[in-house]
Amino acid sequence: MLQKRALMNDTRLLVPTGSGYSLRKSLRQNRTLILMCIPAIVFFFLFCYLPMPGAYIAFTKFNYNKGIFGSPFVGWKNFAFLFTSGQLTLLLRNTVLYNIAFILLGNFIPLLCAILLNEIQASWFRKVTQSIMFLPYFISAVLVSLLVYNMINYDYGFISNIVRQFGGAMPKYYSQPGAWPFIIVLVYLWQNVGYGTVIYFAAITNIDTSMIEAAKVDGANGFQRIRYIILPCLKSTLVILLLFAMGNIVKGNFGLFYNLVGGNSLLFGTTDIIETYVYRALMNNFNFSQGSAVGLFQSVVGFVIVLVANGIVKRIEPDYSLF
Amino acid sequence: MAKKIASLLLAFVLALGLVPAMAETADAVDYTQWFPGVDTSEHVVLTWLVTGNIPTNQTNEALAILNEKLTAAINAEIQIEWIEWTDWQTKYNLALAMQDGTVDMIGTATDWLDAWPNTQKGAFLPMSVEMLQTYCPQTYASVSQEHWDLCKYEGDIYLIPEDNYAQWTNHGFLYRGDYAAEAGLDGIHSWEDMGVFFQYVKDNYPDVIPWDADGSGSSYSDQMLGGWLSSKTGGINIEGFSVPLFFGASTADPYTLSTFFLEGDALVDFATLMKSWSEAGYWREDVLNYTGDVKAEMKEGLTAANQHHTQTWKTERYNIEKLIPGSDVGFFWFGEESQTLVSLNITHGALAIAAQSDAPERALMAYDLIRNDPTFYRLVNYGMEGQQYYVDENGFMARPDTYLDESVQGVTFNFWWGRNDNLELRSAVVDWEAYDALTAVYDAVKIDYPYGQVVFNTDEISVEMDNLSNVFRTYAPVICFGKAEDPVAYVAEFRQALKDAGIDAAMASVQAQIDAVYK
Amino acid sequence: MLRIQRRPGKVRLDGTDRFLRGFTYVVFSIFAILCIIPFWLIIASSFSTEAAIRRSGFTLWPADFSLYSYQLISMSPDQLIGSYIVTVAMTMLGTTVGLFFISMTGYALQRKDFPYRNGISFYIYFTSLFSAGLVPFYYLIVKVYGLKDSYWAVLLPLLMTPWLIILMKNYVKAIPHEITESGKIDGAGDFRIFWSLILPSMTPALATIGLFLALSYWNEWYYSSLFLGSQVRYRPLQYQLYNVINKVASIKNSLAASNIVLNDLPSETLKMATATLATGPIILLYPFVQRYFVAGLTVGAVKG
Repeated sequence: MLQKRALMNDTRLLVPTGSGYSLRKSLRQNRTLILMCIPAIVFFFLFCYLPMPGAYIAFTKFNYNKGIFGSPFVGWKNFAFLFTSGQLTLLLRNTVLYNIAFILLGNFIPLLCAILLNEIQASWFRKVTQSIMFLPYFISAVLVSLLVYNMINYDYGFISNIVRQFGGAMPKYYSQPGAWPFIIVLVYLWQNVGYGTVIYFAAITNIDTSMIEAAKVDGANGFQRIRYIILPCLKSTLVILLLFAMGNIVKGNFGLFYNLVGGNSLLFGTTDIIETYVYRALMNNFNFSQGSAVGLFQSVVGFVIVLVANGIVKRIEPDYSLF
Repeated sequence: MAKKIASLLLAFVLALGLVPAMAETADAVDYTQWFPGVDTSEHVVLTWLVTGNIPTNQTNEALAILNEKLTAAINAEIQIEWIEWTDWQTKYNLALAMQDGTVDMIGTATDWLDAWPNTQKGAFLPMSVEMLQTYCPQTYASVSQEHWDLCKYEGDIYLIPEDNYAQWTNHGFLYRGDYAAEAGLDGIHSWEDMGVFFQYVKDNYPDVIPWDADGSGSSYSDQMLGGWLSSKTGGINIEGFSVPLFFGASTADPYTLSTFFLEGDALVDFATLMKSWSEAGYWREDVLNYTGDVKAEMKEGLTAANQHHTQTWKTERYNIEKLIPGSDVGFFWFGEESQTLVSLNITHGALAIAAQSDAPERALMAYDLIRNDPTFYRLVNYGMEGQQYYVDENGFMARPDTYLDESVQGVTFNFWWGRNDNLELRSAVVDWEAYDALTAVYDAVKIDYPYGQVVFNTDEISVEMDNLSNVFRTYAPVICFGKAEDPVAYVAEFRQALKDAGIDAAMASVQAQIDAVYK
Repeated sequence: MLRIQRRPGKVRLDGTDRFLRGFTYVVFSIFAILCIIPFWLIIASSFSTEAAIRRSGFTLWPADFSLYSYQLISMSPDQLIGSYIVTVAMTMLGTTVGLFFISMTGYALQRKDFPYRNGISFYIYFTSLFSAGLVPFYYLIVKVYGLKDSYWAVLLPLLMTPWLIILMKNYVKAIPHEITESGKIDGAGDFRIFWSLILPSMTPALATIGLFLALSYWNEWYYSSLFLGSQVRYRPLQYQLYNVINKVASIKNSLAASNIVLNDLPSETLKMATATLATGPIILLYPFVQRYFVAGLTVGAVKG
């Protein structure tokens, strides 16, 4: 069957020439590769592109009975609350800074972990630690916040009790905004390092082992092997992960922030992100249009950032670009 | 007026006529007479949107019986689409937004389920008087014209109100009466008494947190601030806004907006008092992130007070007394000091029909039966007689010995959209003496909800409202739990933030809408 | 976790190697403990009485041993078992189908001689930036596809993500292009090359992406909460858990909290017990599953 198709490919020279010739020819030539992409193309069309015109809802006063396209058009009105709040700069700053910390540390530490794990000979240790590192990923944000509260709350926390037993003074973390960037980043890393490690570890296992062996025979020590062989091989994975993260740099992790901080406005200065703000502004005024408007705004900003970043990467090293 | 009396009389006669019929055999009621001339030849399945957890108890059995009876009576059956509490706002609104004809009946409310905004968004079906008279005759007759007027938006009726059900959901503090007595208080009747009580508990019961508030939720800010406002200035909450900043000045002058949040000492006093309570340790240091269950803690004697409403007190007083004999849980209601109390709005619970319902007539008929027929009513509200409840020798609704836990043996329909005092049975597990004494006090001072005729439109001020919501949610918890360094300065900052967010414009708009109806 | 051939251990270890190794053991041991303790706390508190938790918070050992919450859950065991079956079935089906499509697409997109690779990559990547938003998506699934209360509404949207496809593309890129070339010379079609030559040499990538895909099915609660209404008897496990854990918070933060009387809210111990039952088994099984998963991939690829 496959061979038959391959044979048919060879008959492409017989296709008559014309204005659409080169396109048709190239389509034919790449038929199998195109076919291999068809499931993905259809999938994204059905589940992502088809509903996209519905984003028009962000510009309407949505009426349930009339449907999205029957609802009255209101222009930019649904965007107004975000831009007139006077908070947008703070929100953008927090959202972006947290994301930068998440992206940098969330890639650097797993990268390091994967490299170090690779140095370990005992496969049982590798397996066990990798499995265990994955555990926090399974815990939902609500449980995480409960755990954090039970650890560090001033009155009865697990750590507070220990600190007090040793005669120390427990800081009142829940009224110290300055402490929360650290706490939130730590919690994020704790939950996600396992996941990231797997990504890089897989990339390392993809490296041709003979290269590493050769280096060993040449007398390269651990650091040298990492520096000259492993790291260069991981560069493309790293670049792709970074680029991918760029697109979502103005989108926050609502579950994490909302559950850890909740309604504690003492901490908002350092913990309020776009999502938590929007939640607070709209919590008792349920409005689909405004929610969509914020999402659209974030997407556009992310899109511009990615276009720029991808353009730069493409210029330096076309192989690493996303598209 | 004559019409109202006539309709009341009619309802009374009908109720009288039904009670004996029910007492003999339930099947003696001829439901074809209930809806004369209505064609029910086609079998219909009605979908009912109800908020609540999916019951794991005997509800399905009761539903099967209900459907048997409904099929016999009006050739229809009900299927309940539960909107579970997890993310319920999203799910409820999505279900309303679909309008694909799959939903027929919708439980709603003007104060907590956005009945009016959803009406404005086109979610509900306008109901004509003829339609109600034909398909919902008993309900139509029992609700007065005056009450129907409160269910109208732009001239059409959209909601069927739960207007014949005495219920108090005014907020206040539940407190341990035994501790209050030890502290030398003859009940708690003011915020200052409350402070004395807390201090006594703090001093004498080191293992008890005076009020172990779970301040992570947002509801305390709303209730405490509103409670202080009505206690100290006599203001009245106006419902239907996404942020509780709008109050009538007093019972004497309800149609002028209160300026509590903008000026005067009342708010500053509150912030200062709460700061002193916080420093005295009446609640835990990290209260704003605590998520515990105060109700359960009070049952276990771990805390001495809980902030909730009269209805909670009604059930909890009995429950706690059973676990901690002598606890004598009392209730300090907000507004007591200024004798300000507003009856529950009649649309606190209501039923609406989906705009695109396939069978609005049959939905109304089913509702009419459940609301007005004793057999249906008791099945939905109490369960199956003999299994979930029986009527004891004193005429109270009592639970059999096999009924241990509502989540296992109970029947839960969450029928909050048309309870009916004519058919209610008094529960055997309520301290009626205490409850009746309190409600007698209430009845002496209560006024009707004064703003029922206005359906507020916030389109023009939506940006201001969203910004105000954010400002309120940011500042209120800090004031309420005394977490600001300098409460006076913090209140000033709060007021400035409200101004910046546009409270003047918002208040002007609300005032104009009130004036348009009442002045 | 992923298999690598054990290297011949004959190479001598110098000082830096030894330091590197010792350092690694210490760091990972500490991190592992940090990851285990919270789990341990969850399990321990699921065996405590409610009152004990309220009084003394989380403790390393159940303060007041009780099986109450487990008894509560076991009153309707079919619910839990049903949830497990639904989740496992969806995970297996979704991962198998999704992985096949993802690897196929990933392979095609990294072929340098495929002129449409950038266009299609962009077409796919774009969806990770822009989404239509909640209402249009819900409208599509419920009204157009008619999938309300159907497991397909959960299974299908999770099949592929731009992220996994691009990650896959990146992994496949590491496979030397000569393999494809040699296949072409032998006259094999593109699909044959992919199926018999590429797949077998990309086991680590398949295992990783497969793991991520399986995780996204296993941890899924969002689509379930949107599309699986109360008429669906068996809910996916994590949705069930999410439900139990978030109920209280959802109410407390809305106006409803001030107005309605709620009974029967899940207790802390019930939350912990549900969490233990919903995550515990997968964690115990995880190393085995993973091992067979990788082994299965290797065998499958060779056979194919």
